Amino acid sequence: MERDCCDYSRRQMLRSLFCGSIMLPAVFSHILSQEARGEENPLAPKAPHFPGKAKRVIFIYLPGGASHVDSFDYKPKLIDDAKNGRLYEGRRTLLTPMWEFKPRGKSGIMTSELFPHIGDCIDDICVINSMRGDHNDHFQATMGIHSGSVTFKRPSLGSWVSYGLGTENQNLPSFVVLAPQLPYAGGQVWDSDFLPGVHQGTRVVAGDEPVANLKRRAPSARIQEAELSLLERFNRRHQQTRASDPQLDARIKTYETAFGMQREMPEVLNLSKESDATLRLYGLERGQTKGFGWQCLIARRMAERGVRFIELIDVGASNNWDAHGDMKTHEPLARNIDKPIAGLIKDLKSRGLFEDTLVVWTTEFGRSPTAEGTYGRGHFCFAYSSWLAGAGVRGGMAYGKTDDYGMKVAENEVHVHDFHATILHLLGFDHTRLTFRHGGRDFRLTDVHGKVVKGVLA
Amino acid sequence: MLNPGVAQVRNTLLPHYRSVLDGPIFVPLCYTTALRDRTAQAHAVMKAFTKIAAASLFIGSYLLCVQLSTRPVSAQQQPSPEGIEFFEKKIRPVLESNCYVCHSAGSKRLQGGLLLDSREGMLKGGNSGQPVIRPGDTDGSLLIKAIRYSDPKLQMPPKGQLPAGQVKDFEEWVKMGAPDPRAQTGSAQTAWQPYVLGEARKFWSFQPVKSPTIPEPNNKAWGHSPVDQFILSAIGTKGLRLVADADKRTLIRRATFDLTGLPPTPEEVDSFLKDTSAKAFEKVIDRLLASPHYGERWGRHWLDIVRYADTAGCNSDFPISAAYKYRNYVIKSLNEDKPYDRFIREQIEGDLLPAKSEAEKYQNIIATGYLAISRRFGSRTKEFNLTIDDTIDNLSKTFLGLSVSCARCHNHKFDPIPTKDYYALYGIFNSSRYAFPGAEIYPHPADMVALASGEAAENLYKWQKELAALDDRKEYLTVESGAAARNKAKKEKELKEAAQQNPGAQVKPSDKQSNNQSVLDEQKTEPKSEQKKELHPPGESRPADYDRDAVNSATASKSSRMPEEVSAETVRVRARVAELGEHPPKVEKAYAVVEGLPANARIHRKGDPKDLGDEVPRGFLTILGGQRLPDDHKGSGRDHLANWIADPNNPLTARVMVNRIWQYHFGRGLAPTPNDFGSRGEAPTHPVLLDYLAAQFIKSGWSLKAMHRLIMLSRVYQLKATDDPRNAEIDANNQLLWRFNRRRLSAEEIRDAMLAISGSLDRTIGEAHPFQPESEWRYTQHNQFFAVYDTSRRSIYLMQQRQKKHPLMEIFDGADTNAITSPRPVSTTPLQALFLMNNPFVHQQADSFAVRVGMAFDTLPQRVNYAFLLAYGRPAKANEIREAIAHIQQVRKELQEINTPADQLTRAALASYLRVLLGSDEFLYVD
Repeated sequence: MERDCCDYSRRQMLRSLFCGSIMLPAVFSHILSQEARGEENPLAPKAPHFPGKAKRVIFIYLPGGASHVDSFDYKPKLIDDAKNGRLYEGRRTLLTPMWEFKPRGKSGIMTSELFPHIGDCIDDICVINSMRGDHNDHFQATMGIHSGSVTFKRPSLGSWVSYGLGTENQNLPSFVVLAPQLPYAGGQVWDSDFLPGVHQGTRVVAGDEPVANLKRRAPSARIQEAELSLLERFNRRHQQTRASDPQLDARIKTYETAFGMQREMPEVLNLSKESDATLRLYGLERGQTKGFGWQCLIARRMAERGVRFIELIDVGASNNWDAHGDMKTHEPLARNIDKPIAGLIKDLKSRGLFEDTLVVWTTEFGRSPTAEGTYGRGHFCFAYSSWLAGAGVRGGMAYGKTDDYGMKVAENEVHVHDFHATILHLLGFDHTRLTFRHGGRDFRLTDVHGKVVKGVLA
Repeated sequence: MLNPGVAQVRNTLLPHYRSVLDGPIFVPLCYTTALRDRTAQAHAVMKAFTKIAAASLFIGSYLLCVQLSTRPVSAQQQPSPEGIEFFEKKIRPVLESNCYVCHSAGSKRLQGGLLLDSREGMLKGGNSGQPVIRPGDTDGSLLIKAIRYSDPKLQMPPKGQLPAGQVKDFEEWVKMGAPDPRAQTGSAQTAWQPYVLGEARKFWSFQPVKSPTIPEPNNKAWGHSPVDQFILSAIGTKGLRLVADADKRTLIRRATFDLTGLPPTPEEVDSFLKDTSAKAFEKVIDRLLASPHYGERWGRHWLDIVRYADTAGCNSDFPISAAYKYRNYVIKSLNEDKPYDRFIREQIEGDLLPAKSEAEKYQNIIATGYLAISRRFGSRTKEFNLTIDDTIDNLSKTFLGLSVSCARCHNHKFDPIPTKDYYALYGIFNSSRYAFPGAEIYPHPADMVALASGEAAENLYKWQKELAALDDRKEYLTVESGAAARNKAKKEKELKEAAQQNPGAQVKPSDKQSNNQSVLDEQKTEPKSEQKKELHPPGESRPADYDRDAVNSATASKSSRMPEEVSAETVRVRARVAELGEHPPKVEKAYAVVEGLPANARIHRKGDPKDLGDEVPRGFLTILGGQRLPDDHKGSGRDHLANWIADPNNPLTARVMVNRIWQYHFGRGLAPTPNDFGSRGEAPTHPVLLDYLAAQFIKSGWSLKAMHRLIMLSRVYQLKATDDPRNAEIDANNQLLWRFNRRRLSAEEIRDAMLAISGSLDRTIGEAHPFQPESEWRYTQHNQFFAVYDTSRRSIYLMQQRQKKHPLMEIFDGADTNAITSPRPVSTTPLQALFLMNNPFVHQQADSFAVRVGMAFDTLPQRVNYAFLLAYGRPAKANEIREAIAHIQQVRKELQEINTPADQLTRAALASYLRVLLGSDEFLYVD
């Protein structure tokens, strides 16, 4: 490897960096990531069980429960019966989906006008219409889709991926969450729980200080560099008489990484070098520093820079997809994310990232095909839709079926555990072997369940 | 979203969907391994077991079941592991979700006399007397015929044919000879045991604690105390050489952080250095043990174990105003060196203990906060079984080092804990009444215990009960509003039809009016009677897992009222709630547990509270004696439970606790898995020493402080933390304790030490958190409670939430507020470095620190030296002072360049230097 080019001068380079000389951040991160390959760094890149198609994940999560029968699960009989006032099983009022469906792409998959731009990308997408969860409450279902457990707290999917694969860029967290607001269950959604703390999701929010404590608070950059330089001297001296303690060495490195993060994160978030065409793709105005388009573009930039798991959450625990009263509330929410997501897919494709990036689109449950009140729909974990796109996924297909009304899974049920098993499979993991010993037992994301959904694999 | 209240009711209850959709909504999560997915676990979970061992486990269990069966199923040969696996994976789940409703011992109405929940039942058949399966004969098996749907008269399940794949699985299974490990009807859960009791008792942790003889190692003279002799004899002839003793500065810093979580002051260090007597260190220990900060440090350890939080953990994470009283009780108890057995009793049955004074009585009640802080789930009360599970999980791990909650859904896979033991304990807690913190649907805290007597207490109870009843009524009305809307639609339709049939006849307004009026009249009395029903003292007639929803929605949907009536009453209810909210009784409350409705629990099959099995008498774990409550016992049984746990003859209680104490002193327990003394835990490295300490602990009257003295006065506690390459080759992880273990400060210590050395620490005891008044709480799952409250008090007094960790705890490995945390994991992350570089708190403390040293001394060398004494407990060396001066001069220049006002230069430059001290390893680590 190119290790020899760095061995001699690494420290010197860092020191000169602290003293204000200019060096390419890429070189900097390369040095650090190379050094970080040691056993003691839990974030060093690791090989999965077998070569996975996906190297990273962009996980889009819609809080509140996005409707399947209004978006990706086309149910003509539901539409027909609802329009004609026929009741479901003679008792329950059916609600007509509010958006027109039409065949899209070469595959001709029926999707609705709710997500026209995503619909245009349908040939790159594998829609799963047979999702099944375990709980009909937000909190529990949100924990379910993130950690596999609707009852007890468990590590989040992103933490498992970080634990399994480490990360490619030591200057950025391995697991990033772009969430303007807190979702149901709060920070537990990206908690590493019993997995080591480095695998915890780092929340990035638009604004002045995107990551907690990221902003330099020392009066000037040079003062901070002087402090860090002196600090390293302190720590080296302290370590000299305690040479065998790997933790102390690791801690010295974390300052270098933190400094790198403080440099690199603003660079990731700086969109000034993106072209107008790219910004348009995401529906972004120049200078715009928030919104879902911003989140999606940042996600692409992080994917480029080696962040392993990027979660995008569009809204919070209220004013979200939870359309009890009126399905129309889906419309502005969809408009907010539709073009940016399509833009993300196109952008990833044009940059060659789509081949090894898995894009996941999901929600905690669907919405009832029957009406709640006059225009709303209830929670519905018994059958709903999600989709996968990108690395290793067969595009232009709809997997799994529900019955004529979208009420029950009729074919190829994909339980949340199966969904997780499949995501891990695409990353190169046998989900039954990605385990962590805790409290006398080997835990896994899929508990004792889960099967890989072979039908969605390319 | 328009009306989330109504919407959630309907959607979370889902009565309609449940009835039409197959598959359980309730899917228990496995703590260990579920039987049905054995292949997966053989790799992932049962690493310790070979496949053969695992298979024999199943065969063993099968044989046991057969033996216990009243009519042995002799026809079946011993099923192969593959056969059982096939059954567990493909057959049992289908039977359970499709057939058991009508064909099992648990069926409400058994259909055709046919039981499919046992092999015996299948072979016997139903009322027809014909067996439904004939092993090996697919076409001759009625069950196969039924699921094939080939005969129009025999089609099962009735609601729709099984998927083709499942039918094929059944055919294949019958062809295989229908391997079936199930026992006789209904007994599978209770009869199956993975162990032989007598054998299981031989496991080290179940053996009685023996008071061992103190060994006499060769170099006995080296030691200071018997503890050392055990350590020496374990090291024996392994070729390890013990490292040198720690110097006095190191030692006092170590002991001070260890016992108080704070750094020693320069004066304390100085007086220890000057004290050359043999008892110098002993004096330090005694001083520290007498410090009020001792309880804050060791109380925090206890709070880690009992997963203390100031919020409930429910969907909305309701704040618990009174939880802090339990926190303070813990601190106080430790400072008083309350005997541990007493400490156990108070936390489990404090409300039942006799008390000499009102004050003592209230402290005892507050102590049961230990049970009350169990995690809450959901938006309502229907998942209270999980809260009891959380109690059992924590109680068994905390006091006994056993993972009893594995037995919630199935017999424990590795330890001798059958499901019936779990429900023996469940009955005890279900017979108690937990204070209710409030939840989204029932927002008012209820069943808080008054720390007052007479009228004051009565006022609180009356107030609480009325609010709870109003919450119930509001929920009833929410459900009823749906019925009312239907009633109205129906009525209008009838009127319309009547008008069409008889166009001439006008509907008399008076009719309508009187109709409505009568409803109103009726209603005037109805809510009262409803409320009356709810106004009984709840604990006396309800189990803890009582589901308020079930009661509230049972009759509401059958209401005949009109929407106007319902909304009118809703307005009245709201008004009354508001009125009560404005006048909360001024009574001290405790978040506590008292006696409820005493009753045994029935087994929840597979952990599903709706699938009830046999009743289990309340009692204790079989492996620890299997004691039962006396027949004439009138209470919940918490009194007996406390005695069973705090019994000096209980082999686990003392061992588990002294191991915890050891672990907090040395960073690692003598048994390395402090919460698991079962077969999956790691065996102790020093079993004899563990027993010695346990015996001493009991002998000392369960005194924690005596244990601290015993351990800290040993020489092994006073060793250096330095490495030795030769030793490292033999025992790299220092399991035999040839040196002391260096440790990073905990999140709390980092913050507290910064506050202490900057002179900003408020050393007073923390009181209630500044939550909003309860009457203003509108927390829902959509609008959860989140807050961070500033304080200069010690970190143990910070408000700790369940849904979101305090930022400091999140970064520096603070305790998990949802589950037992012991020991704390220690991570080293860039986010920690960012915190130390950029967090405003750190900058603020560095600034105060600069002011403190600046005020104390006039010259820079003196200031730097003082800073070293405060932060590191040692003076600065000459080169360090030179370095400091150089840095400060450089920073001054930089500060001038960015136009810092001249009068701030000294302070700001010094603060820059002190930030380096606060971020340094010498500060963050204890040798």
